[in-house]
Amino acid sequence: MPPRKAPASRAPRPVVTKAPEAPKSKPQPDEDVVMADAPSEPPGKSVPADGDVEMGDTPEQPHKQTRRRRAPAPNRGPDEFSALLEPFYYGKSLTDPINTAQDKWNLLPAFLKVKGLVKQHVDSFNYFVDVELKKIMEANKYIKSDIDAKFLLEYTDIRVGWPTRTEEDELNNHKSSVTPHECRLRDMTYAAPITVDIIYTRETSRIKRTNIRIGRLPIMLRSNRCKLMGKNDREMANMNECPLDPGGYFIVRGQEKVILVQEQMSKNRVIVESAKGIMQASVTSSTQERKSKTYVLSKKGLMFLRHNTLSEEIPIVFILKALGVPSDREILMMVAGEDSAYQDMFTVNFEACGREGIHTQQQALEYVGHRVRIMKKPQGGFQRRNYYLEAIECLSSVIITHVPVVGTNFRQKAQYIAFMARRVLMAIQDPKLIDDRDYVGNKRLELAGQMLSLLFEDHFKKFNYDFKMSIDKVLRRQHRASGFDAFAHFSVHQNHISMGIERALATGNWNLKRFKMERAGVTHLLSRLSYISALGMMTRISSQFEKTRKVSGPRALQPSQFGMLCTSDTPEGEACGLVKNLALMTHITTETDEDPVRRIVFDLGAEDICAFTGEEIHAEGVYSIFLNGTPLAATDMPKQFLNGFRRLRRTGRISEFASIHINHHYNAMHIATDEGRICRPLIVVENGRSKVTARYLKALRKGTMAFDDFLHRGLVEYLDVNEENDSNIATYERDINEHTSHLEIEPFTILGAVAGLIPYPHHNQSPRNTYQCAMGKQAIGAIAYNQFKRIDTLLYLMVYPQSPLVRTRTIELTKYDKLPAGQNAVVAVMSYSGYDIEDALVLNRASVDRGFGRCQVFKKIAFAPKMYANGSMEILNGVIDDKDKNEKKNHALGEDGIAQVGKELYAGDIYFNKQTPEVAGGVSGARQSFKATPQTYKLPDPSYVDKVMVTENESTGAPVVKMLLRQTRRPELGDKFSSRHGQKGVVGLISPQEDMPFSDKGITPDIIMNPHGFPSRMTVGKMMELLSGKAGVHDGSYQYGTAFGGSKVEDMAEILLQHNYSYHGKDYLTSGITGEALQFYVFFGPIYYQKLKHMVQDKMHSRARGPRAILTRQPTEGRSRDGGLRLGEMERDCLIAYGASQLLLERLMLSSDQHQVDVCDNCGQMGYQGWCKMCESHEGIHTLTMPYAAKLLVQELSSMNIKVEIGLEDEFKRE
Amino acid sequence: MSAQGYSGNPAVQVTNQLVDNNSRSVEYLCGDCDSVVALKRGEPIRCRNCGHRVLYKQRTNRMVQFEAR
Repeated sequence: MPPRKAPASRAPRPVVTKAPEAPKSKPQPDEDVVMADAPSEPPGKSVPADGDVEMGDTPEQPHKQTRRRRAPAPNRGPDEFSALLEPFYYGKSLTDPINTAQDKWNLLPAFLKVKGLVKQHVDSFNYFVDVELKKIMEANKYIKSDIDAKFLLEYTDIRVGWPTRTEEDELNNHKSSVTPHECRLRDMTYAAPITVDIIYTRETSRIKRTNIRIGRLPIMLRSNRCKLMGKNDREMANMNECPLDPGGYFIVRGQEKVILVQEQMSKNRVIVESAKGIMQASVTSSTQERKSKTYVLSKKGLMFLRHNTLSEEIPIVFILKALGVPSDREILMMVAGEDSAYQDMFTVNFEACGREGIHTQQQALEYVGHRVRIMKKPQGGFQRRNYYLEAIECLSSVIITHVPVVGTNFRQKAQYIAFMARRVLMAIQDPKLIDDRDYVGNKRLELAGQMLSLLFEDHFKKFNYDFKMSIDKVLRRQHRASGFDAFAHFSVHQNHISMGIERALATGNWNLKRFKMERAGVTHLLSRLSYISALGMMTRISSQFEKTRKVSGPRALQPSQFGMLCTSDTPEGEACGLVKNLALMTHITTETDEDPVRRIVFDLGAEDICAFTGEEIHAEGVYSIFLNGTPLAATDMPKQFLNGFRRLRRTGRISEFASIHINHHYNAMHIATDEGRICRPLIVVENGRSKVTARYLKALRKGTMAFDDFLHRGLVEYLDVNEENDSNIATYERDINEHTSHLEIEPFTILGAVAGLIPYPHHNQSPRNTYQCAMGKQAIGAIAYNQFKRIDTLLYLMVYPQSPLVRTRTIELTKYDKLPAGQNAVVAVMSYSGYDIEDALVLNRASVDRGFGRCQVFKKIAFAPKMYANGSMEILNGVIDDKDKNEKKNHALGEDGIAQVGKELYAGDIYFNKQTPEVAGGVSGARQSFKATPQTYKLPDPSYVDKVMVTENESTGAPVVKMLLRQTRRPELGDKFSSRHGQKGVVGLISPQEDMPFSDKGITPDIIMNPHGFPSRMTVGKMMELLSGKAGVHDGSYQYGTAFGGSKVEDMAEILLQHNYSYHGKDYLTSGITGEALQFYVFFGPIYYQKLKHMVQDKMHSRARGPRAILTRQPTEGRSRDGGLRLGEMERDCLIAYGASQLLLERLMLSSDQHQVDVCDNCGQMGYQGWCKMCESHEGIHTLTMPYAAKLLVQELSSMNIKVEIGLEDEFKRE
Repeated sequence: MSAQGYSGNPAVQVTNQLVDNNSRSVEYLCGDCDSVVALKRGEPIRCRNCGHRVLYKQRTNRMVQFEAR
C-alpha cells in the first residue's frame, strides 16, 4: 500500500479548497425548498448536531448511537464522543433542503431504529414470554388427582424473571449481576427462572403460594428479559458487550445458538392442488389442542372428504347432510350456486344418496360414525359403539378443528366444507385456479418464540403429568403418617423443564410427542467469522422441504418474494433457493387478537355468514369475508368494506399487522391476523399523492416524529404478501398515477443485509452478487467491539480494517462501516508477470509490509479436568524438578502448570502440564499418585499465548482453564482475496515495490489484477466502484454505490476531471522494471478488497512417510492426521492405460501397505513362520508380498465362512 | 456484589478438600475488579474482593522477543 493513500481510509477531511461539492449535496432546485407549512429553523441550532441526527433524536442532544435504545440514556455526557464518529447525517446536514422524492428513504433508518434487523426474533421471543406463556398456562390451568377428587391445583400466574446464575436460583429478591459475556466465558446458560403462582388443596384448606420456580428459560439476547435491554453504549461496554451486536440468539452452555427462521405452508388456509390428475383442496387445521389435515377431493367426477380419522373417503354430500344441511337443493346451492356449469358437475354426487339410502341427517351421521376410526380402546370391556354420537364428536372437534362449532351449530363448518368443494369444482373448470404452493403469501415463517412455545408447552404438560403421578402415588396409600402437602412434590420436577429446553437448544433436536414432531437442526451455532456473517445468520430462513426433491419450484425465485426476501442472498449448490434471507425492511408478524377485528367486520356492515343461504352467498356481487381462513361474514359492498377496513387500520383502530385482501376469483375477502406472515412497510398514496410529504420528513429529521408516528398517522402501513399483491405500488414518486395505492420507501430494500454491502449491485451480473453474498461471510475483519474479550474456538481478526470508500446506504444502516472486513486497496487493472493468470493477484510487497491484508488468528484451547469414579481428577501442576525446568519443551510453563501469557509456543511445547491419577479405582482419601500426561502444541507454525482464563464450572465447581493462542499472519502466496463483486483470487506473486508500475504522482498499486477477470463476468459494478472510489479519494468524500441509486458515473467523471485525471479512471503508468512508460493507460484506483478465511497456512500439507491407520496399515487420510496423498481410482486408471505397471505396484503396495505373507501352495491358505496350519507341514510354503488390505479381506471373508484360496504359480514357468 | 450470592454449592466443597498447601500460590487478576488474587492449587476460583469467578493469568515477567515482520 503506498503511504500516500493513508488519509483516504480515515474520516473524510473537510474540503478546504474549492473542491466541487459531492453530487448528492448539490443544491436542490428552489421549489423543493419552499415549504409554507414548515417552520423555518434558526440556523445556529443545527450546527452542533452535524455529527448526529439519527431519527427520533432531538438535535440539541448529540447522543450516542444505539440501535435499539428506548429509554433516554441516564448518563449522556460521556457518550458525546461517539457523536463525532457519526456520519454527517448520512451525508446531509440539518439545514439542507428536503426533497421528498429523494429523502423519503430516511424512513428506513427510522424503521430500523424501531424494528432493527433482527427484530423479528426479538419480537417473537417477547411475544412468547409476555403472551404465549400465559396462554399455555391458561390452557393447562388445573391439575386434578385421579384418586382424590377434592384435590385441585390451579395456576394463577406465570412469569419469567431476569437472568440469574443457577446458584442464585434459590435466592429471592436478589439482583443478579450475571452478564451474557460471563455466560460465554464460563460455559453457562443465559437463562432466567420461570415462576408461577399456585393455589392448591392441602387437607381441606386452599393454600396460595406465589413465586414458585418451575424451571429456567434461556433468554434471547436483547429481548425484553435480557440484561442488555435499554442499555446505552457505555453500560454495554461495562458489561463487555458490543453495542452493534444484533442479539436475537441464545447462550446455551457457553455457545451462541440461533433458532433459524423456519419456512412452512400456512395453517388453516385452503390450498387447491392437482396431484396425479386428482383435484383436491386441502387444509391443515391447527389449534392449541389438535393438528390435522383434511382433504376434499374429486375422483372420477365424484367428490369426497378424506381425513385420517375416517377409515375411507366419504362422499361430500353425506358429510354436508351430517352437518345439518337438510335438502339436496341447499347443498347444491352452497357448493355450486346458481352457476349451471358447476351445478352440472356437482349433481352426480347426489346419486350416492339414492344408492346408500341416506336422506336425513340421522342417516348421514350413522354412515359417518361407522367409518370413524376408534382412537382409544374403550375401557371396561365391550361397549356398544354409539355411531351417532361418535360422528358428531368427530365432525365437531376433529375434522377442520379451526372452524368452531358453537353448541350444535354446524352451519359454519358446513359452509367451510362447501367452500372447499366449490374451489375444487372451480379448479376443475379452470386449471388456472390451482394454487401456487410456492407463493410467498401461502407461506408462514416460524420464529424462535413459536418454536420455544411448542417446546415449553410439551415440557410443561410433562411437568404437570409427573406432578400428578407423584401425588397420586401418595394419595393412593390409605394410611398416611403425616399430613399430605402436595407442594413437596411440586418443585421436584423443575429440572426437567430446564434441562429439556436447554438440551433442545443445545442440540437443535425438537422432539415433541404431541405433534409427532421430530426436527433436527433447528438451532445453529452463531457464526462469528465476521460481523456480517453473524448478521446474515440472523436473517436466514431455512425451508422445511426435503432437499432431494428434484422439482425446481421451491428453489426458484418467486415474483412474490419482491421486497420480502433478498433476491441475491442464497447459497450455491445443494441448498440453493431453499435457504433464503430476509430483505432489509421485512417484518414478520406476531399474532394479534381476532376479536376486535371480528367486531369491526360486523361494524363495517358485513352480515354473519351463517344467516346466508347458498344462493345468497354465491350471488353476483356478494363477497364472503374470511378471518384467518374461517368464513365469518358476507357483504355485497366489497369495495366499501375494503376501504373502510383499511381506513380503520390506518387510523389505528385495528392492529397495523392485520391485513386484508380481496380475491375476485372466489368472491372472497381474506383478513389475516395470524403469526408468521411476512410483511413490509410502504408509504400510503391517496388521490395520486404520497401521504409522506416534506413536512413530515422534516419532523422526522428534527426528531419530533418517529417511525411509529408515521404508522399511527396512516402515512405508512405494513402490507403482507397477499395484500401487497392487491396493491399498485409505485417505485418512485414520479411514477404515481391515479391507480397507485402505495409508494415504495426505497427500492434498495429488496436486498438483504448481506447483499446490501455490494456497491452498484444493479450493474452486476446477478450470479456475481450471489457469489459475493457467500464470500462476504468469509471475509476477515472486525467482529464486535468486544472481540478481544471473547474466547472463541476460532476467531479471525484483521489488524487494520478499513471502512469502504464506496459505501451503500445498507452499509451505514447495518453499521458495517463500524465493523468493517476489508481494506481499500489501490488496484491497477493490467497484466503483470505471468503470475496473475486465472484470477491470481499480484500484491505489492511494501503494502504487505505496511499491513495490507494482515490478520490475526485466535484459537482456543480449553482444559476441563476429567473426573473419575473414586472422586479423583486430573490436575495441572507446575514443573518441580530443576532438571525438567530447563528442558526446552517446558520453557513456557508457569508455576501453575499453565503456559505463561505472552510466551511463544513452538511445535512440541507443553502448554498444559496435565497429570492423571494413576489408579482410577483406588480408595478415596488415600494419597494419589499421578502420572504426567502433558498437552503439547501441535501446529508447525508457532503461536503466542494471548490470554489464559481460569474459572469454575457452574454446576460441578470443577476448574476450567481456557487458553487463547494468537498468530499474526501477513498475506502469503496462495492466500485468498476477493473484491465485493464475487471476484475472488489467490495471491500469485508478492512483488517488490520497486518492480511495480507507478503513476506520475508516484503511486504504486497494492494489487494488480488481471483484466481478463472482467469480460466474461460482467461485473460492471466493480469498475464503477473503482471510479467512484477514485473520485471520492480525490474529493475527500465517501461515495455511494447504493443499489438502484448511488453516485452517478457522470458525476464521478466530472470530479476526476477537476482533479486533472482522465474521466475514464485510467492513468499513465511507468514500468518499475524497465523504467519505460507503459504503452497503454491503466484503469487505476481503489477497490475494497476482503481477505477471506482460506489461508495457505491452514491448508499446506506434505508427507513423505508418516502415520498409518491401524486396521488397514495404509497411510492415514487428511492434513490433521498428517495423512498421505491418495493416488485415487482415476489416477490409477491413467497409469493402467499408460501401462506403467511397476509404478502402479509401487504406489499401491510398496509405498502403502506392503505385507509379507506365508502362503501354502497345497491348500491355498495363509500360514505363519513358514508353517501351514492346515497341512501341518513346511512343504509348499512360499513367502509373498501383498497389500495388507488384501490379506485383511481374505481373513474377514473367512470370518464370514467364505473360504478364499490363493493359487500360486511361477512367474517364469519352468518347461 | 455481595459474596452471599455464591454459597452452598456442594460441589465446591469437594474440590476444597484437595487444597495443596505445599504448592506455591500463583497470582491471577480478577476479570471484574482487576484486583490480584493469589490462588493455590485446589482452592475455589473466585476473587476475594468481589466474588467474581472469572480470573485471568498475569502476563509473564520474563522477556518476550518478537520478530516484527
